[in-house]
Amino acid sequence: MNATMYLSQKPEATAADILSYEQILDVLPHPILLVRFDGVIIYANQASQAMLEAVVGKDVYQLFPSFSPRIVTDADHSTHLIVSKDGRSFEATPEFVSDGIILLDLRRLLNGPVGTASRDRDELTGLMNRQALLSRMSRTLGQGGACRPIAVHCLDLDRFKMVNDTLGHVVGDLLLKKVAGRLQSACGGGDAIARIGGDEFVILQHDVTDEATAAKLASRIVDIVGRTYVIHSHTINIGVSVGVAIETEASQACNLLRNGELALSEAKTDRGRYCIFQPGMDTCLIQRREIEVDLRRAVALKQFKLNYQPFVDVLTNEVAGFEALLRWEHPAKGFIPPLTFIPVAEETGLITKIGDWVMRTACEEAVSWPGEVIVAVNVSPLQFRAHTLLQTVASALERSGLPAHRLEIEITEGALLDDTEKVVQTLNALRDLGVKISMDDFGTGYSSLSYLQKFPFDKIKIDRSFVAVDSEDSAAILKSIATLGNSLGMAITAEGVETTEQLARVRSERCTHVQGYLTGRPMGANQIPSFFTQLG
Amino acid sequence: MKNSMFRLAYYSHNHLPDDAATFAVSIQELLEKSRANNLRDGITGALLFNKGCFAQVLEGSLDKVEAAFERIQQDERHGDVSLLALDPIEQRSFPNWAMGFIGKSQKCAERFSTIGTLSGFDPTALNGGEIQSLLRDLALEEETAYQS
Repeated sequence: MNATMYLSQKPEATAADILSYEQILDVLPHPILLVRFDGVIIYANQASQAMLEAVVGKDVYQLFPSFSPRIVTDADHSTHLIVSKDGRSFEATPEFVSDGIILLDLRRLLNGPVGTASRDRDELTGLMNRQALLSRMSRTLGQGGACRPIAVHCLDLDRFKMVNDTLGHVVGDLLLKKVAGRLQSACGGGDAIARIGGDEFVILQHDVTDEATAAKLASRIVDIVGRTYVIHSHTINIGVSVGVAIETEASQACNLLRNGELALSEAKTDRGRYCIFQPGMDTCLIQRREIEVDLRRAVALKQFKLNYQPFVDVLTNEVAGFEALLRWEHPAKGFIPPLTFIPVAEETGLITKIGDWVMRTACEEAVSWPGEVIVAVNVSPLQFRAHTLLQTVASALERSGLPAHRLEIEITEGALLDDTEKVVQTLNALRDLGVKISMDDFGTGYSSLSYLQKFPFDKIKIDRSFVAVDSEDSAAILKSIATLGNSLGMAITAEGVETTEQLARVRSERCTHVQGYLTGRPMGANQIPSFFTQLG
Repeated sequence: MKNSMFRLAYYSHNHLPDDAATFAVSIQELLEKSRANNLRDGITGALLFNKGCFAQVLEGSLDKVEAAFERIQQDERHGDVSLLALDPIEQRSFPNWAMGFIGKSQKCAERFSTIGTLSGFDPTALNGGEIQSLLRDLALEEETAYQS
């Protein structure tokens, strides 16, 4: 017997004389709610206040995060299983009581279908889980035109792993609960919040009339979730990145989520901000995927070749060596510039294989060059992380028979950013082999002098931008890097020298080497003999 | 640990409405809600406010102070919350929780004098320690003027 029947089948006038209906409802041990069509609670008996913290004016979605609007719209006497925000299961029987108002009779399911409950919610936070989110999404999207547009917000916490690693999983879990709490307070009652992975959340925002509505919620999430937390007297600072996709036409749940994830990866490049999906984003990703597929094939089929650009000793005007430059000639698409494919190679880890090939090939091709001419090979920071660099270099030297002092390895500051100690160890081991080490692109990155102090580089290469631009500033920078290198006993190469004026300036600043179109363009390995012949 | 006594201090920029009347209503709401919560949780301290900022000291058991701070962090009536201190303390330095206007604006001082009096706000308690006087100075620095 449920509450409405109880009330309507008590015709004796005496009941109302003794107790008001409200008092009767308050005696009931199980929660009774009157809910308006929009989900707002307009009556809550005492049991519901005690068990569910139900309050008039609150939204029923706040009590039951996975509450389906269908329970309100098709109150059809059938019972529904719903789970409160702290994870308790209830059997809900909705009844129409008057226009636009339903009565929810809630029975606690003590030995309820635990399986169903835990299938729908995330154990830790009590939010919806991925499964429940997807079915909620397809239900909402399935309603088609009757429903106003929705937005999907894909969230990923920044620096959460560090909290877990340094303060432990107990604090990490408490933090996730607090994040869940903040999301609930940032969101509207009708929005669905789900935790779909370790530190990944998704919010389904309803009634998104325009982009600004979605942007407002996203920026509120970035603000509130990014505020300082205090847990067990630890002060914790994390951030959140948000990718937003707004439903434009009848789209499928998985497409909408995918677009949200795409926008999220865009947002994550800067962290602590939100980004709204734009149609171009997927073509970008598709192109990237294509490059990846092509690149894997290129590695297998060895579609690469090396070009060599000479660098010249400023004092003797003689070619001191060549820098090996990687070229990828795609059979259909033609020349693909390194700036396009190197990032993909680094991201996919293919850089290690490619790097190995470059090292081996450069050594093999350089061994036939005359005299003491050096070959300079670029090494990616990722190759240091693979911990096989030393072995790669040693075996390339051994197989080719190139004397170690004719190999120069160029690294950028990026290699020294992470795990500096380990990298310096590798650099020292390389130097022990007799290999020269130079710092590439100096002046464009952090240009930290501490890196120059951590390892005694043989050479610093000054970025072309300080050579090409004829301004007082770049002249001053060029001069000071050259002075710095001279006093540290390092050779200095000025890159990108294209005119005789630039050459004269570089010479006057006591750079030891130049590299650029003026002293020689990149050439294929087979052109090198004739290049030397021409020089006489 | 959970029940040992802690003191937390922060200051933040307030996002309360610009016009004087709504501002006053918001302050009144804040006072009522916070006083009820803090009384229930055994939290003492002081909330200083002016047109530009909030600055608050909270004292109480660690779990209650953390819970109060979490509520504060979820509140959109302010932002840019800077946590200045979270330290274990031997004893409380505020007898109750109260809230009071602090600033140079004479108009505000008059308008909010009753709030201070009724809630038992004692500006001299702010001379009690380093963090208290730091908060007072910060609050004075962040005061802004009404637009109207």
